[in-house]
Amino acid sequence: MFRFGIIVCAAFLLYPFFLPDDFYGRMAAEVLLAAIGASAWNILGGYAGQISVGHAVFFGIGAYAPLLIFTKFGLPPIVGVPVGILVSTAVTVVIGLPTFRLTGHYFSMATIAVAELIRLVISNWDYVGAATGLMGPAVARTWLDLSFRSPIPYYYIFLAVLACLLLLTWHLQRSRMGYYWRAIRAGERPARSLGVPVVRYKLYALLLSAGFTSVAGSLYSLMVGFIDPESGFGILKSVELIIIAALGGAGSLFGPLVGAMILVPLQTMTNSLYGGGGSGLTYIIYGGIIVLLARYEPGGLLDLWHRMMSRRAHRADVAAAKPHAS
Amino acid sequence: MLLRAQNVSRSFGALLALSGASLDVTEGEIVGLIGPNGAGKSTFFNCVAGDLTPTGGNILFNDVDVTRATPEAHAKLGIGRTFQVPATFVELSILENVMVGAFLRHPDRNDARAAALEVIEFTGLKAVASAPARTLGTPGRKRLEIARVLATQPKLLLLDEALAGLTPSEVQDAIALVRRIHAKGITIVIVEHIMEVILTLAQRVLVFNQGVTIATGTPREVVDNTAVIEAYLGRRHARNAGAHAP
Repeated sequence: MFRFGIIVCAAFLLYPFFLPDDFYGRMAAEVLLAAIGASAWNILGGYAGQISVGHAVFFGIGAYAPLLIFTKFGLPPIVGVPVGILVSTAVTVVIGLPTFRLTGHYFSMATIAVAELIRLVISNWDYVGAATGLMGPAVARTWLDLSFRSPIPYYYIFLAVLACLLLLTWHLQRSRMGYYWRAIRAGERPARSLGVPVVRYKLYALLLSAGFTSVAGSLYSLMVGFIDPESGFGILKSVELIIIAALGGAGSLFGPLVGAMILVPLQTMTNSLYGGGGSGLTYIIYGGIIVLLARYEPGGLLDLWHRMMSRRAHRADVAAAKPHAS
Repeated sequence: MLLRAQNVSRSFGALLALSGASLDVTEGEIVGLIGPNGAGKSTFFNCVAGDLTPTGGNILFNDVDVTRATPEAHAKLGIGRTFQVPATFVELSILENVMVGAFLRHPDRNDARAAALEVIEFTGLKAVASAPARTLGTPGRKRLEIARVLATQPKLLLLDEALAGLTPSEVQDAIALVRRIHAKGITIVIVEHIMEVILTLAQRVLVFNQGVTIATGTPREVVDNTAVIEAYLGRRHARNAGAHAP
């Protein structure tokens, strides 16, 4: 297992050196970015089991902050990253306290409502560019603008952020916080009877999740250099985060990364195959994945993998035991 | 006095499920709550556990007013409860289920794990500790339910039909377990339908009928009480029983 981990880490670190061209570099950076967003969603939706369909709010805030800082004050966009985190966490408290009274589907529906409301406000607010959105620096003034032609620097920045996020998640999942989250997901009433302060721990999950989703949004707009209400706050952004996490395995550490490694290349492929006209196809694929996951593999691909592995191990045990028995 | 519930009432809309029940529990007791279905014992139980807020009366635990306290505050103060239908965390392993309880007094993971293992050993779940909780049947889940709450180190343990649905031999095992828990110095309030359990375990019994307590006393006294027989079996049986009494 340890050796496997080393190999995977090395593969991620060295991947850019074996690239045929920038197309694959950009796709790899997009995979990592999607994995950051989905891993952030996973803290609240996977571990704590609160299915938010409104995470685009935090993604959008994170995406707007750097470009707003740049267009309004001429500061390097990266200054907007902490601003995005601060605004996002402030918004979580406003959203979290009323919506956490709701459970299950009602919570999910409330998050959709809030996200759509905010998207409409942004679309009509001239200060933040209304429906046209915002642009980043066309040419980097200094390296601080983090505006690169090659996707490789982005790849390494995203890889570092993802590594930090996964390390933090891994640590939390082993601590009291992680156990309490899973208990809340399994049943709030018994969790409370065992002394779990349910609302407080759900809020912790939301704060962390929102903060990192905001970072994902910031990284997105840093790389793309452009943001509009639809790509920042659109409901499809929220859905994308959920599908990536659920495909790999919600509530598992590496599930979102696995999901991103499958879904993002798939998206890029369909988009390039059918040109601009194929962008609708992505959402047909989303729909198909939702149906298949809900029907056959609600635990996601990693869960399926673990079950197959344990079945194989079991069969091996049985096979090993047989000669002794006979 | 460990627990003092005075005049506790609870209504659901127009329905008065519980009207003025009182119960005093001293440390080290085992008190049984019995009564026919719909008598209000579960409502009373949930009021004491903090799952329902009483609409009248008050509840003191160790002289602290817990009438309106949240379930998690009850757990923190040392009131533990089990659920009638086991509320097992099926996605977690048995050890992890118990660890969730243990984390209340042991914030550190290794401490919580050690405490949970101790409880698992005590409740006889050691052989299956690492198995997923979903693999347990009803008797196992009832046992896990008890293990989980024991891990929160309660002073007062509220058992809600923890023995219902068990076979006679499993009931004997469970009675032995409750005895061992009591021997650790934990005070117990038990709701139970099975008379045998109440008769063997409880030192004092409180009988509910139609939202009020109609009798209290030792199990023997209560079983011979005319009002109790009436509540369970109807008036005619009560008369007959009265005629046969010495």
